[in-house]
Amino acid sequence: MFSKYIVKFAFGLYNSKRYTSTKKFFYDLLENENYHYKKIVDIFLIILILSSVIELIYSIKHGVHGWLYIFDLYIVSIVFGIEYMLRLWVHSDMHKIIIKEYERSQFLKIQFKFYAAFIQILTEKWNYIKSPAAIIDLIAISPTYRELRILRIFKLLRYTTSIGQFINVLKTKRFELMTLLILLIFLIGTTGVAMYALEGNINKNINSIFDAVYWALITTATVGYGDIAPVTTMGRIISMIAIITGLVLMAFATSVIVSAFLEKLNEIKDNRLIDSINKEDRFVIICGYGQMAKMLLRQNNFDNKYVIIEKDSNIASQIAKDGFNVITDDVSRHDVITKFNIQYANVSILCIGNDDVENIYITLTAKSLSKDIRVIARASDISMKKKFVLAGADHVIVPNQMANIMLLTSIKQPVVYNVMHALLAGKHAAYLDEIKVLAYDGLIGKSIQEIEFKTKKLLLIGIQKEDHNDFIFNPPASTILEQNDILLIMGPKISVEHFINSFQRSLK
Amino acid sequence: MKNKKHAWIFGYSKQSRSIAASLLAENFSITIIENDDKNFQDALSDGYVNSVLIDITADTELEKLDIKQSDWILCLMEDEYLNVFLTLSLRASCTCNQIIAISHSIYSTQKLIMAGANQVIDVYQVSANRIHNIFEKPITTKLMDNFISPSHEFSFKEFTIPKNSFLDGAIIDEVDFDKFGIIFTGIVDKELGDELIFAASNINHKIDNGDIIICIGKNEDLVKFGKYLYKDIA
Repeated sequence: MFSKYIVKFAFGLYNSKRYTSTKKFFYDLLENENYHYKKIVDIFLIILILSSVIELIYSIKHGVHGWLYIFDLYIVSIVFGIEYMLRLWVHSDMHKIIIKEYERSQFLKIQFKFYAAFIQILTEKWNYIKSPAAIIDLIAISPTYRELRILRIFKLLRYTTSIGQFINVLKTKRFELMTLLILLIFLIGTTGVAMYALEGNINKNINSIFDAVYWALITTATVGYGDIAPVTTMGRIISMIAIITGLVLMAFATSVIVSAFLEKLNEIKDNRLIDSINKEDRFVIICGYGQMAKMLLRQNNFDNKYVIIEKDSNIASQIAKDGFNVITDDVSRHDVITKFNIQYANVSILCIGNDDVENIYITLTAKSLSKDIRVIARASDISMKKKFVLAGADHVIVPNQMANIMLLTSIKQPVVYNVMHALLAGKHAAYLDEIKVLAYDGLIGKSIQEIEFKTKKLLLIGIQKEDHNDFIFNPPASTILEQNDILLIMGPKISVEHFINSFQRSLK
Repeated sequence: MKNKKHAWIFGYSKQSRSIAASLLAENFSITIIENDDKNFQDALSDGYVNSVLIDITADTELEKLDIKQSDWILCLMEDEYLNVFLTLSLRASCTCNQIIAISHSIYSTQKLIMAGANQVIDVYQVSANRIHNIFEKPITTKLMDNFISPSHEFSFKEFTIPKNSFLDGAIIDEVDFDKFGIIFTGIVDKELGDELIFAASNINHKIDNGDIIICIGKNEDLVKFGKYLYKDIA
């Protein structure tokens, strides 16, 4: 009977949109690095951790003030407690485990046993509870032993990427470091026991096995406080062995850590770049570094909100030398694009390498991940354009076709060529710009005649009305401008800038 | 028979094939010059029977080509070094000809200009400009796409002002281009030289015969305007 209600409840949760969206919201808030509001929660928790630690340090010499005590003991602990419970909650879905177990029992035609699902739920939650981050969180909540609260500072590890990366690097050398640790323990143990046996009854500073092990650690680490020193010849020989062996072990450990960092250095750099680009609302991923990418970045560096992905590490290091943002990876792999914040940011991918097959593959990979990703792809030939369109590319660039059109225009209509070239290159004398009519700026409600483009040394080419998809070329003088209209105007750059400043000054 | 314009195309690559075909459609007569036998055979098999196979690095062979002053020269060699060398050689022997070259890198573009090309089309610069405009000026991009699309609705068109036409002697500000549904965008005032002066520069020019004006508009309106401009000219 109990099991029946549990299953019913689990299905209820599974079908509840409100429960799913609430859980997703809290998951994003606590765990999703790409969720905008997570940053606010992080900052709030960091402030809370620091204030708690500062209060503890202050109270050591100045005593505990009443309201500070309440703040530290109750408010901080309660907030951390809620945070802990929420993290535990979003770590796994209990109802899904119950449903899975129920469906298994239905399939096998056996009776559903709640305890089997319950064990799985506990295992899942235990996996979270025993993780280092969760243990630190739990200690941070505990208000019983005041001095232990200084450990709250370790909660900052969750928000410090450098320390996280350091730990990840160490993890890659787990085997080597564990071997060295076992050797170290063995060395400290044997030298400590030997010292206790040799000088336990002679040396007045060695009163227990703990003193001897403490001496062994201090000596092996070459710290040498001098509070415990050997008094016999054999004791000194053991000291010498401990020091030399300790030095060798330290040197090994250092070289292991350094080599791990060297191996992971590029990955760390890449992850940092990805983290920083993921903080932007809008960014560009450039796949394929060549003449076109160079020229594009010279012209438009997208306010530095771009990253080049190059799979060849030699080319990638050359790109970095050229001063561009680059990561070394194979963008055609599905998981590479998912490293970026494609869910929340406005992402454009430029596939401008010279390999059509690769460009199409990247286009398909991007579009299969999200239809919202804008893909601008380069095709080597006009015959390939159709394939790119089928793959979902939003714009297809065929360099040879465009160059040929320009070349033919320069022969057939040389003056028109100059105009088009000037407009495309954004030359100062013929600057073509798009001006959006914004709310509360001086353009709303005015007719084209009233604005007097001609006296402002501007040409109005046309208007894109918000409610029309069509572009209105050379609109009648009586046309009234409305919010969100986009004006396409041409003129000297200085005139265009002056026009924007005079009508949209209040918004600058 | 009306004299055909002649174009000398140096280099018969995939890219030059489409240029040659387009020029042929525009009633140009074409001579392909190649230094590679395979490309030369391709040109012959594509119907360019008067193609020539020469060593293009030899000035004596270039001089034998008999290039007239009014001919167009297109330097489309795939090898960048060769293209720059060829442009320089041709400029030395054909001082008055229009030389147009294709470049595949910014460094070549600069060198081709220095070598004497009148116009250098930088393949990647054109594409980079377009990508830039897709991001920064989407409506402009659409409009420009329209100009280059085979089924375009709008175009830029240039008109050389004929003698005794209604624009001969007119002041720009006094001409009502709106009446024709087109926008006047610029003029090459031959009195002032060959430089294009954009409409918005606010210099009120007097239009004379021989000047070139550039207008933008719907194709049908541009055609109507052209007919009106040339209507009384026999």
